[in-house]
Amino acid sequence: MYEWSEEHKMIRDAVRQFIEAEVRPLRDELEFGDTPPYDVIRSFYRTFGMDQMARDSFSRRIKRDKEVEAGTAAPLEGREAAGNNAGMTLIPIIELCRCSPGLVTAMGVSTGLGAGTIMSRGTVRQKERWALDLLTFEKVGAWAITEPDSGSDAFGRMQSTARRDGDEYLLNGSKTFITNGPYADTTVFICKLDEGNPPSERKILSFVLDKGMDGFEQTKPMRKMGMHSSPTGMLFLSDVRVGKDRLLGETEDVPYREGAKQAFSIERVGVAAMALGIVDRCLELSIAYAKECVRFGKPIGEHQLIQDKLARMEMARFNLENMVFRSIEKAAVGVGLELAEASVMKLYSARAAMEVALEAVQLHGGNGYMAEYEVEQLARDAKVLQIYAGTDEIQISQIARSLLS
Amino acid sequence: MNVVVCVKQIPDPAVPGELTSDNRLKRDGAKAILDESDSYGVEMALQLVDKAGSGEVILVSMAPNGEVSGLRQALAMGAARAILISDDALAGADALTTSKVIAKAVERAGGVDLVLAATESSDGYTGTVPAQVAELLGWPSLTFAKHVEIADGKVTIQRQTENGYDVVAASLPAVVSVTAGVVEPRYPSFKGIMAAKSKPLDQVTAADLGLNSISAGQSIVSVDAAPARQAGEKVEDDGTAFERIVTYLEELKVI
Repeated sequence: MYEWSEEHKMIRDAVRQFIEAEVRPLRDELEFGDTPPYDVIRSFYRTFGMDQMARDSFSRRIKRDKEVEAGTAAPLEGREAAGNNAGMTLIPIIELCRCSPGLVTAMGVSTGLGAGTIMSRGTVRQKERWALDLLTFEKVGAWAITEPDSGSDAFGRMQSTARRDGDEYLLNGSKTFITNGPYADTTVFICKLDEGNPPSERKILSFVLDKGMDGFEQTKPMRKMGMHSSPTGMLFLSDVRVGKDRLLGETEDVPYREGAKQAFSIERVGVAAMALGIVDRCLELSIAYAKECVRFGKPIGEHQLIQDKLARMEMARFNLENMVFRSIEKAAVGVGLELAEASVMKLYSARAAMEVALEAVQLHGGNGYMAEYEVEQLARDAKVLQIYAGTDEIQISQIARSLLS
Repeated sequence: MNVVVCVKQIPDPAVPGELTSDNRLKRDGAKAILDESDSYGVEMALQLVDKAGSGEVILVSMAPNGEVSGLRQALAMGAARAILISDDALAGADALTTSKVIAKAVERAGGVDLVLAATESSDGYTGTVPAQVAELLGWPSLTFAKHVEIADGKVTIQRQTENGYDVVAASLPAVVSVTAGVVEPRYPSFKGIMAAKSKPLDQVTAADLGLNSISAGQSIVSVDAAPARQAGEKVEDDGTAFERIVTYLEELKVI
């Protein structure tokens, strides 16, 4: 694959038209106000039939799960499991990131991490109870792993606990930087089973929480550098009492870390698509500005230092697009990305988005520093790509570990 | 309820056009899109068929080089199938020739209750095709509809006028031209886009429609650039400029 197919282009054009008509006019409200992004995302889902597609796909998946449980079918593998619609998933990410990358963060965490975790680790009953509404975006989901003192060492320094209490569990702990945390209807809470053993030996468990449960507090949105259209908050749990029906998988014996690696790979491909959207828009705006802004008697695009910036932006866009094509190709033949490969993509993408966005600000001069010019927002938004979904430093260590093993 | 929608695939207005040696728009390699003014007819047709509970929306388009990009857009919105007339003999066809071809294509579609078209295309702007198609089919022609309703074998429209609208009714089958704004066109769903390629597309020539001796019917003698806008009148305000403005507005009969 070296270019988008006709269908991909039609999807791109339709999504771009929708964004220009329905999302961009709300940009100020989403980026500089406190308007939550969920109505816009729901409208996006309904407009393009993504809610119905999620419903249909969910029905097929549950039917298969039930057959697997009954022993009349084998679990899906490879191409069948991956589906053949990676492009259809990535194009909206790219296009939304050309306008408001926070929307993608809010959407991706709810459907990818929230629903994704329930779909990969939950029982059929749990999937039906919580995942479908998240996949159709009727409800908003959060995925809570990070704690105030854990960051990249998420499992090692995790202090949130579940303690057995009869047939139930009592959950305690604090989570922070939780995307959708302030508004989530459904939260996947990751913690350690405290059996009185040392923390390093404790099992990792995940529970599903509903908004408003006794002892479960969701804070208001935190102020942050970028991604303003994606609400981020803290969660506090004080003796939240839950039954086994809320323990994902309904068993304590599910190896957590392996499943998490698959989720990380998918998340990192998503970041490459996000970076492509940011870079594509920065380049488009920079080209237009380089043609219209005249300094020293000629458009700045005719000055070689500006040309150097544009050429570097185009190199980044070209590389990112090829990475996205590669991930679509691999998904189409049912070959997943290795974690280290996904790390390479994530590391390159995040850095490229940051560099390009800052260069776009530079190219726009004083205007670029002003909120009115979009590159200011995109530069603030791009920074988090180097931090969330595994920091640059974590990606580097994973790539190196893979090379040296 | 089967509804034909006449759709035109026009050169993308965002791309600067070029002329051929015989003064026609160069179509080779130029991206064609669905004429936006036709998207209203497609949406109206989809809603009418949906309301009727049965039937289908059929697209009819005449375009050079087997062009299908614009048709795919309308198929992605939900139309069931398309008839495309693509024939070198029709290059540069005038409005009457186009109407003859479309009328024959409507007959080919079979069992059609209603034909919808835009009031005029965004590139040719003759605005005469819908009425000509109606005449050739021998069906009633209703024009400038800003609202369309079907009931009891009749079509009733609100015909846009300068001061409001007239209510006009006719028996089916009929040809109706719809204004922009009759309905809000939907965005194609992702599923619709993926399905569009596999929907039936019947590509035919004029001869396939039984039109054996047909020609463009017109030739374009010359094309001139639109005259540049004339500079306006400058009035230096010496305290009486308002008088000149009042006079000017009176000349225009604005006040």
